[in-house]
Amino acid sequence: MTGVELSAADWALACLLGAAVGLDGVSWPQAMWSRPIVAGTLGGLLFGAPAAGCLVGVWLEIVLSRHPPFGGARHPETGPAAFMAGAAYAAAGDGAPIGIVAAVAVGWAIGWTGAHSVTLLRRVTPSLVSRPEGFRGGAAALARRHRLAIALDALRAGLLVAALFVPSVLFVRLLSTQPSGAAGAAWWPVVAGLGLAGAAGVAARGLGARGRHWPALAAGCVLGTLLVQVFA
Amino acid sequence: MRPRKKDFVRAISRSFSIQGSWNDRTMTGPGMAHALAPLLARIHEEDPAAFRRAVQRHSRAFNAHPYLAPVAIGALARLEFDGEDPDTLLRFRSALRAPLGALGDGIAWAGWRPFCGSAAAIGFVLGLDPLFAAAAFLLLYNAGHLALRVWGLRCGWRSGRSVASALKRAPLRRIERVLVPANQVLIGVLAALLVGQLPGTGHTVWWGGGAVIAALMGYFIPRHISAVAMASLLAACAVWLL
Repeated sequence: MTGVELSAADWALACLLGAAVGLDGVSWPQAMWSRPIVAGTLGGLLFGAPAAGCLVGVWLEIVLSRHPPFGGARHPETGPAAFMAGAAYAAAGDGAPIGIVAAVAVGWAIGWTGAHSVTLLRRVTPSLVSRPEGFRGGAAALARRHRLAIALDALRAGLLVAALFVPSVLFVRLLSTQPSGAAGAAWWPVVAGLGLAGAAGVAARGLGARGRHWPALAAGCVLGTLLVQVFA
Repeated sequence: MRPRKKDFVRAISRSFSIQGSWNDRTMTGPGMAHALAPLLARIHEEDPAAFRRAVQRHSRAFNAHPYLAPVAIGALARLEFDGEDPDTLLRFRSALRAPLGALGDGIAWAGWRPFCGSAAAIGFVLGLDPLFAAAAFLLLYNAGHLALRVWGLRCGWRSGRSVASALKRAPLRRIERVLVPANQVLIGVLAALLVGQLPGTGHTVWWGGGAVIAALMGYFIPRHISAVAMASLLAACAVWLL
């Protein structure tokens, strides 16, 4: 019905890869293969279109950078979010601007769903390892429980992908296959472009909160616009 | 006994999972004790009870930036090795938390990570192969990441109690001060390139000007409004679909 072929093996592989990118975000090893540019590319690769996945990943780099994890603040979980959004756009986006918008919206929503799942998991973790006076069971027991907590995080990320992978693909597919003459279709590139530029401004402020750097941001935008003229 | 090289290697490899058992009560405390264990085991090799007490002590509440946690691992191991009393160790441990958190947030999360991410993304948008762009990001980023962890452990072990002045002498803040404005430029370039590439918009200057204005509006509007805008976009998708 949707024109997207997804085998059980693809789905299982997606769950495994999703667990790996989810694990990297906080638990191990924080080498940043959970960043959207990597996870999105990986998601696209699953459907043989790494460039489509990478493009969504780059958009999500900007949109999700609004919430840096300063001081342990709650932030969207980028890995599974970008992985699923990249895969969904690669599988079903058809290169349409509305497809990118849909995939980015999916990534944003899954990012926050992932953040909530992390919060839930952290309600379980204290019972494994946390005592105000310190863990009394010795180093070996602590190591076992620490590894169990990491395994639970991988399981959480895998389950997140298991539950949301197919709905993400379907959502992007349904939006992307709307006829180009449908009401408002011509406005999507404008909405997407201005929304992205606005998101870049919000992200830039979030990352440079200690100083006022808006002239640098404006200079970057102007430079980018000139580059577009050169490369067009 | 003095820790051997392999103990330091084990400690640093365990530091990669320092947030593995992060929880709201003791935060990275258990991960910290897990990473310190190889060093503590060597230091207290002849006294298993002292080793057990040390592990318990270091699994109490602690938090620091994960990439700079090796500074604390090295410094705390040094103090254990020097035979400092438990109260001093706990006070020292508490004093390290805030500076390591703030310094790490600035250099890693606000500086190095967006710098590498934006540079790789710009490379991709300008025509780099996506797999190459992602691999280049991972290589570049982790070169800095690994260097920071190794430097942190050495700095902590060598400095011990005077680790605060060693951190002050290190060029981390100076690097951050260069990277943060550079990131603003890179984010601006990236946004303008992506907007310019959207099909159906044409490559007109007025469109680029609109992007600049939208970016500056995003910079100045209150944070909660941007969240509402994103939620509205999702709702618009749903309404259009229906």
